[in-house]
Amino acid sequence: MITLENIEKYYANKGIKSYILRHVSTTIKQGEFVSIMGPSGAGKSTLLNILGMLEEPTYGTYEFMGENITSLNERKRIELYRNHIGFVFQAYHLIDEMTVAENIEAPLLYKKIGGAERKSRVADMLDRFNIVGKKDLFPNQLSGGQQQLVGIARALAAQPSIILADEPTGNLQSAQALQIMELFKKLNEEEGITIIQVTHSEVNAEYGSRILHLLDGVIKEDVAVA
Amino acid sequence: MFKLNFKIALRNLWRNKTSSLINIGGLAIGLSSCLLLMLYAGYELGYDKKYKNADHIYQGMVNVYDETGHIARTHGFTQNALAPALKDGFGGILYAARTTDLYKRLVAHKTSSLKLDNRYADPDFLKIFDYQFISGNPEKALSDPNSILLTESAAKRLFGTTDVLNRAVKFENQADLKVTAVIKDLPANVSYPFETLVPWTVYERLNTWVGKVNWGNHDFLTLLSLDKNANIEALNAKLKGIVKRNMPTAKEDIFIYPLTKLHLYSDFVNGKSIGGKIQQVRIFVALALGILFIACVNFMNLATAHAQKRAKEIGIKKTIGATKTSLVIQFLLESLILTAISILISIAVVEVSLPWFNHLLDINIVIAYFNPANWLVLLAVLLLTGFVAGSYPAFYLSNFNPIQALKKSLNFKSGYSLNLRQLLVIVQFSFAIILIAATVTIYKQLQFIKDRPLGYNSSALVEITHEGMLYEKYEQLKSRLLADGAVIAVTQSSGSLTNRDGTIRDLKWDGMSEADKLIDFDQIYTTYDFIKTTGIKLLAGRDFDKQFASDTAGIMLSKKAVEAMGLKDPVGAKILNQGVVRTVVGVFNDMVWGDRTKFEVPMVITYTEGISEDITMRLNPQKSITESTASIDRIVRELNPDFPVDIRFLDKLNEVKLKNEATLAKLSNVFGGLAIFISCLGLFGLSAFSIEQRTKEIGVRKVLGASIGELTKLLSLNFIKLVMIAIVIAMPIAYLLMEKWLNGFEVRTSMSWWIFILTGCFTLVIAMVTVSWQTYAAAKANPVKALKHE
Repeated sequence: MITLENIEKYYANKGIKSYILRHVSTTIKQGEFVSIMGPSGAGKSTLLNILGMLEEPTYGTYEFMGENITSLNERKRIELYRNHIGFVFQAYHLIDEMTVAENIEAPLLYKKIGGAERKSRVADMLDRFNIVGKKDLFPNQLSGGQQQLVGIARALAAQPSIILADEPTGNLQSAQALQIMELFKKLNEEEGITIIQVTHSEVNAEYGSRILHLLDGVIKEDVAVA
Repeated sequence: MFKLNFKIALRNLWRNKTSSLINIGGLAIGLSSCLLLMLYAGYELGYDKKYKNADHIYQGMVNVYDETGHIARTHGFTQNALAPALKDGFGGILYAARTTDLYKRLVAHKTSSLKLDNRYADPDFLKIFDYQFISGNPEKALSDPNSILLTESAAKRLFGTTDVLNRAVKFENQADLKVTAVIKDLPANVSYPFETLVPWTVYERLNTWVGKVNWGNHDFLTLLSLDKNANIEALNAKLKGIVKRNMPTAKEDIFIYPLTKLHLYSDFVNGKSIGGKIQQVRIFVALALGILFIACVNFMNLATAHAQKRAKEIGIKKTIGATKTSLVIQFLLESLILTAISILISIAVVEVSLPWFNHLLDINIVIAYFNPANWLVLLAVLLLTGFVAGSYPAFYLSNFNPIQALKKSLNFKSGYSLNLRQLLVIVQFSFAIILIAATVTIYKQLQFIKDRPLGYNSSALVEITHEGMLYEKYEQLKSRLLADGAVIAVTQSSGSLTNRDGTIRDLKWDGMSEADKLIDFDQIYTTYDFIKTTGIKLLAGRDFDKQFASDTAGIMLSKKAVEAMGLKDPVGAKILNQGVVRTVVGVFNDMVWGDRTKFEVPMVITYTEGISEDITMRLNPQKSITESTASIDRIVRELNPDFPVDIRFLDKLNEVKLKNEATLAKLSNVFGGLAIFISCLGLFGLSAFSIEQRTKEIGVRKVLGASIGELTKLLSLNFIKLVMIAIVIAMPIAYLLMEKWLNGFEVRTSMSWWIFILTGCFTLVIAMVTVSWQTYAAAKANPVKALKHE
């Protein structure tokens, strides 16, 4: 589903290039649950952003579902990730001016899905995550865990084929973190959604089927989880 | 999508109450000013255009030549013989009517008598101008020689009802007339308003000189209605020489000019129209657009400044699939909503301030709410403002890189965006500064004209109209007034001291040249005590004196008249005036007769009995004004009971003459103030925001040891710098504009450098006050709070 070949990303500052990622090549198949691990500054978030088409690599090719992303124009790229990719952030990144229900609905609006269909999907999500009673609250009225749930609900509402999660449990207490990871596992096993997560936690990594270890912008190890 | 964005826009407005208020407030003020000034422009531009046949209505104009054959003056006062000559002798002219200037005439019936604004007119007047008749027949209303036509309000004022057809009235206490028609009130923006219309034949009956064919007397207005296909140039060419054919000594030509252009383009040089009131209308339109522009600039600046707050939202939206276009649309929508709210507020503001505005400009604008064209214009303004104001922020915001936006690492100090914002502030303040400099200059010019000595003592000087029984009882009036002690001097004259309305040419004196034959002299006819009453300064000789019988053939010359005539020994010289040899009795100092914005011209005062329109009196300084005017009222009423008494103070009359300039001064004052206010609102918003952004920096600096003064200076300096640049740019522009305006005046003040110093300092002080009380508050804040922020 995803093929990365020789991905490189650097920032130029007065002629000196500082490399964030170098020679990154890997393949990820549909239905996998991959964790990207590594120390701070290793380039994990950048890799995830590139996967999510939020950043462009300065070199290399990225093939997503058979399409060469690097050669696509912005409009087509937006189309692709709108329809296939759901992003979950560490800091939840909900829109403070919108209610829970509106936040979940937002990506559907951009996909130009009709009103009735939107309403039904949002209702589904609210049900599934047991947050129906909170649908008219604003993000600042929810706890961290609840906000993250909403973030995930938002990512799922668009029915993506792949979820990219950037340290989804980083800001949560252990009990809530567990809940989130169980959810991910369920999504991966029961619905076949590909999940790529960036994480620090060994515990979280155990939930996946594969771990990519990054160090100084290079993939050092690519192991399967027992 | 639209609903959600609408909801978010409203929620945003509510959450940021202060900045929303500043934004909406500034925009509403800008829009209100713009709308008011546009209403005024519409009013002036629509003058005389509401008549059905407006495009084909023309007025007869006169070009007066000087000795070299150049056109010296152009004016609209024509001869009584012109209209009939035009109608009969020239093809293309369908209707021609003479009329007079507006003049208050006595209209009385059994239970009330009023002085109404009256015009005499030929019957064709009603064919040229179409009015809405409430009663009466437009075809016949002025044809009957004893008819009178009233407007609705005139009828109500006089009779209490409009159902007055065929009622009888006594006109000017001399003629018995019958009401033949009542018409709906005229709109305010017409050049020929009136309350009553009386047939020309009545005018001729009451004043025999009006009926005599006279090609030298320019006292009347000639109005024409032309055929659709008439060729104006050909007609004007044919008109050349018409006056000369009838009066060989004439040095003038007649031409016709469209009435729709007369109101705005009435300044003529060399026979060609170079403009007129249109200049003022243009200034107002520029002012309107300028203020709106400042308000929009405010909006743009504040919106982009607050971009950081929206950065997160924009970043997220981009990650969940928003295209740049959808974001641009969202922000444009927000600005349109803001603009719509502002427009609603500004409509209310305009409605409330319209009476004041009308009073200020002495006009009567009414908002036509039912006119769809007005709503279209409003919609256009809404869309234009919303787009203009919202476009820059919309494109600026939607260009954010999502990842940087989310990580709060957006670099706002990037060179381009900040410079544009600074540039906008500079433009705003430049405009406001120009307005303020203009205000100061206009006031200075106004004061200069007001302070100019009139040549006579106008305080405590009053006048009444010389009419009715006062003609035969003049001497009685004079002795009774003096005996009562209400006044200390009385005189009668052919015209008011405040209104120049008489000139004479063709005076003859010893030693005059050919060219001297064409000099125009201002002329007043009077009898005795003119100098004593008016306080004009005598330079040589004396006033007309009863003791000297020969003074009845006397004449007095002004200083400039003596110079123009080149007389070495003026007193005693002989002047031939309209066939009578007159002796110069005295020389008086130049006086300003009517128009204070023009230089004095050569003037003569001629002794003549029987030509008098005004009685001028000097009030007794020992008595109170109310006492004296009451006495005058009483005495005049006793002698002339049929006419209401109207005591006019010359001071007031003179003041009214400067109305145009005074209005301009007031307007530039008000709108200049508004412009500065809006600009300061913007500055306030920007500085508030900038300080919020730099909270951490301020905290850190304080901890490192900066004093409050140093911090205040640091924070304010950026903004003060902008204002100083604006001052430097605006000053030369203001100077040039004001020089140009002042050069349009004959009598003008000088441009002093202190005007600019004053303006600059004033603007600087205001800007500093706006910015520093915020920066001071920020500098005083507890640094710990600031650092905890992170």
